[in-house]
Amino acid sequence: MVTYYAGVADDDRVFKALADPTRRFLLDQLFARDGRTLTELESKLDMSRFGVMKHLRLLEDAGLVVTRRSGRQKLHFLNPVPIRLIHDRWIDKYTERQVSALADLKHQLEETA
Amino acid sequence: MTTMTEIQTTQVYQVFIVASPEQIWEAITNPEFTQQYFYGARIELVNDRRIAHGPGGELWGDEAILESDPPRRLVHQWRSQYDPELAAEEPSRVTWEIEPQEGGVSLLTVVHDQLEGAPKTAAGVSGVGWMRVLSGLKTLLETGKPLQG
Repeated sequence: MVTYYAGVADDDRVFKALADPTRRFLLDQLFARDGRTLTELESKLDMSRFGVMKHLRLLEDAGLVVTRRSGRQKLHFLNPVPIRLIHDRWIDKYTERQVSALADLKHQLEETA
Repeated sequence: MTTMTEIQTTQVYQVFIVASPEQIWEAITNPEFTQQYFYGARIELVNDRRIAHGPGGELWGDEAILESDPPRRLVHQWRSQYDPELAAEEPSRVTWEIEPQEGGVSLLTVVHDQLEGAPKTAAGVSGVGWMRVLSGLKTLLETGKPLQG
């Protein structure tokens, strides 16, 4: 089933968000240690605070980053679910075919042997 | 490049689901639903406990419910009783937040935190653990069928 609805992160946004080295770097940073502030993330990049904010906003829009308040701090968390959904929807489908193609090949070879 | 991964003591997972908050609440508290996407676990809320049984009826979890506000918020303790080594760790906490959005969509956020005393559980549930559950829950609610594989 394909669903498109306004305001909901879809595959396009995830792919677009991932199609940038700075944003992948930010995700890697959060993967290594989750729950970081903008200041922490900014310190790892040679980029203006505004630039980093723009990238984080795109990641948030794609659902890949979720922010939560902790006292006075705004913490950024990696949300891996959209990537998993793409994996389930796209990667699984093709690896399955590959596996079944190999299984077919095995059958054919064994039958002719 | 090798990146050292620290134990994540707070983990946040979020997914949009084409379903009402009531449907999501039902799907996370009704054993007939949970067994289809939660590693086969039959989960139910009994009094102030969240009880989980495995497919063979074995006890997988019996944890205190800390907050229950159907269909919007459920907070309960977590202990991985399916594995003795994990079960020996300190209990952690799981918060389910369900927020209705426009167009019949709801945003489900799962926060697994207070994992400071449970590093093995933190490593075990992080990433694929919760992702499989949430991906399966979304698929089940949107298609009526469990996720393959």
